[in-house]
Amino acid sequence: MTDTIVDEGVDAPAKGAHQAEAATFSGPVMRVVGYIAMVIVFLIVALPLFWIVITSFKQRQDIYTQPAQWWPKNPTTNGYHLATTTIAFWDYFRNSIIITAILSVTKIVLGVISAYALSLLRFPGRTALFLLIIAALMVPNQITVISNYALVSQLGWRNTYQGIIIPLAGVAFGTFLMRNQFLSVPSEIIEAARLDGAGPLKLLWRVVLPMSWPTLIAFSIITVVNEWNEYLWPFLMADDQRVGTLPVGLTQLQQTDGITNWGPVMAATVLAMLPVLILFLALQRHMIKGLTAGAVKG
Amino acid sequence: MTELTRRGFLGAAGGAALATGLAACAGTGGSSSSSGGGGGGNSNTIDFWSNHPGTSKTTELQLIAAFEKANPGLKVKLTDAGKSYEDAAQKFNAALAGGSLPDVVVASDVTWFNFALNNRFADVGALFQQNGLSTTDYVDGLYADYLYQGKHYAIPYARSTVVFYYNKNVFKKAGIPDRSPESWDEFTSWAPKLQAAIGSGKSALILDDGSDYLDWTFQSIVWSYGGAYSTGWTPTFTDPKTIHAANVLQGWAKSKYMKTSADSSSDFGAGLGAVLLESTGDLGGFKDLNFDLGVGFVPAPGGVKTCPTGGAGLAIPSGISADRQNNAAKFVAFMTDPANTATFTQATGYMPVRKSALELPQEKAYLAANPSYDVAVKQLPYTRPQDYARVFVPGGGAMIGQALDKIVAGSDVTSTFKSLNGSITSAYDSQVKPLLKS
Repeated sequence: MTDTIVDEGVDAPAKGAHQAEAATFSGPVMRVVGYIAMVIVFLIVALPLFWIVITSFKQRQDIYTQPAQWWPKNPTTNGYHLATTTIAFWDYFRNSIIITAILSVTKIVLGVISAYALSLLRFPGRTALFLLIIAALMVPNQITVISNYALVSQLGWRNTYQGIIIPLAGVAFGTFLMRNQFLSVPSEIIEAARLDGAGPLKLLWRVVLPMSWPTLIAFSIITVVNEWNEYLWPFLMADDQRVGTLPVGLTQLQQTDGITNWGPVMAATVLAMLPVLILFLALQRHMIKGLTAGAVKG
Repeated sequence: MTELTRRGFLGAAGGAALATGLAACAGTGGSSSSSGGGGGGNSNTIDFWSNHPGTSKTTELQLIAAFEKANPGLKVKLTDAGKSYEDAAQKFNAALAGGSLPDVVVASDVTWFNFALNNRFADVGALFQQNGLSTTDYVDGLYADYLYQGKHYAIPYARSTVVFYYNKNVFKKAGIPDRSPESWDEFTSWAPKLQAAIGSGKSALILDDGSDYLDWTFQSIVWSYGGAYSTGWTPTFTDPKTIHAANVLQGWAKSKYMKTSADSSSDFGAGLGAVLLESTGDLGGFKDLNFDLGVGFVPAPGGVKTCPTGGAGLAIPSGISADRQNNAAKFVAFMTDPANTATFTQATGYMPVRKSALELPQEKAYLAANPSYDVAVKQLPYTRPQDYARVFVPGGGAMIGQALDKIVAGSDVTSTFKSLNGSITSAYDSQVKPLLKS
């Protein structure tokens, strides 16, 4: 489904440093090599995406041909029509949005506040607690599936939103990531804020978080993409389009026996990719902004 | 709330840790089979878990509506059980651990036995008898596929066989008779002509690859050479005849007459191959091709039965209450009654599972109008149950598929099959043998 998106464009603000370095490898040769490398990377990323998009506009008989068609001979939006009508596409889409939104917000909030506690507040057993949380990170969710299923099923939560959301809301990865980010905030700043009378929440909200935007945004994007693509657990929990997510719904376009009609599959894939793509483009600017905004004047 | 007390904070942190711990490792609840058969299933609602074989969801819903109309007291809930038989088995497996069992579940030729062996499926033969339903009208071979130690564990539902598809235009161009070959050796003699006729970059023969059921279709080739994957529970991959068949396969690959593909039917449909060995379930998908499609029997030299059956049946879990099982039996009987099996097969390309379905005027008319479908039905008497090594040994099919992939890629046949023999044997020894009621 949605692939992890490679960010291109982060190099814009950091150009100055790069050019200073590049000057040591002076000459047009290096520059050409650099451009060639860039083009190759771009092709590796863009070609599959391009192929998915044009396939979604092809007619069925134009999809499997030799030589390959690099542009649809008879462009059609029929694939999109089929993808959104043969399965309850918009129901799945709605569920995906709801589940991803709730899960991501929960994970981000829990991640930030737990990381803050573990890095900047002092209380007994802090290290032990951190180790426990890291231990939870080591357990892949595929292993806990069976026991979670038993638990959720006994609560009568099968085929409900909470049955899908709550077991997935564990957050160890975010805690780990954000804790290390918070620890890297210079202690002078923390002390200065405390001297100025900032309480724990103010310290988090006005001092530490603004210095951590890039990490937080990166963590948020990773979280959203992960939740959006989650398959195994929603598949086991959901029975139909009432709470099923897109990855679960899209499997119905594929054929168990027989021939998969790839046009609708690709069309649905494009539609499923869009929200994450839009979110990424919207947040990317902030990531760069965060990278360049220095808190300490040096 | 800018002032957090230390105690309140500790409490909150403890709570957070507890939540994390819970999410990471929840306790296993025992299967609550006492409470009305797990998960509080309503005995008047039949929960039917299907992966909609052959994209049959609309057909299934149509049959369900007819069932509800005929049985006003009963409701049927159609649950999506994933994209493949393996997905459905996985979902059922999870339900076994946590209750909330379905009333009817789709089980494929490869997945049913393991559940039957572990007493997870009910004996449908007995259930049918209790409810005054007859099983005599099911096609004998298809019903017998679910027989184990005198009990039947599923009712045939979406059943297919392997057929020989060919591209008539290429056959004509190559000057080859318009029929499927008598034997695979005859095909080998045709291959150079077919390859020349179809041109480079395409292949005379397209097969599935190991991830996509080559282990299923290749059975037909092995049997035609007198070999087999196994005899009873004893794997026979090192049998000279089995090895010979694999050598033939490798020979085609080496001479570039054959390619294996994860999407073989689409490749064939696009005209990239002259011959395809695939399920009858593909027939429904071969629409608007730009060539004439030929469908024939799989090569069976000397009239040996060389056609494996496949597909899926409907099973009823053993862990649900007797009431629910009886309702489930009624539903299964309805879904597979002569008229409905005819409707289902015409929508998908699977085979009618009832003998009397072939006598129905609508089915007769349909088969007359669609001779390709008729080939599969006529081939039914030549089918033979699959080898235990593939369908009864847990993971057997996947292991065989991987070994065949290696052979196609050029690894030594004898040594590959020797190690496959070992892995099949050890899987049998550890996972099946202890459970067999000798």
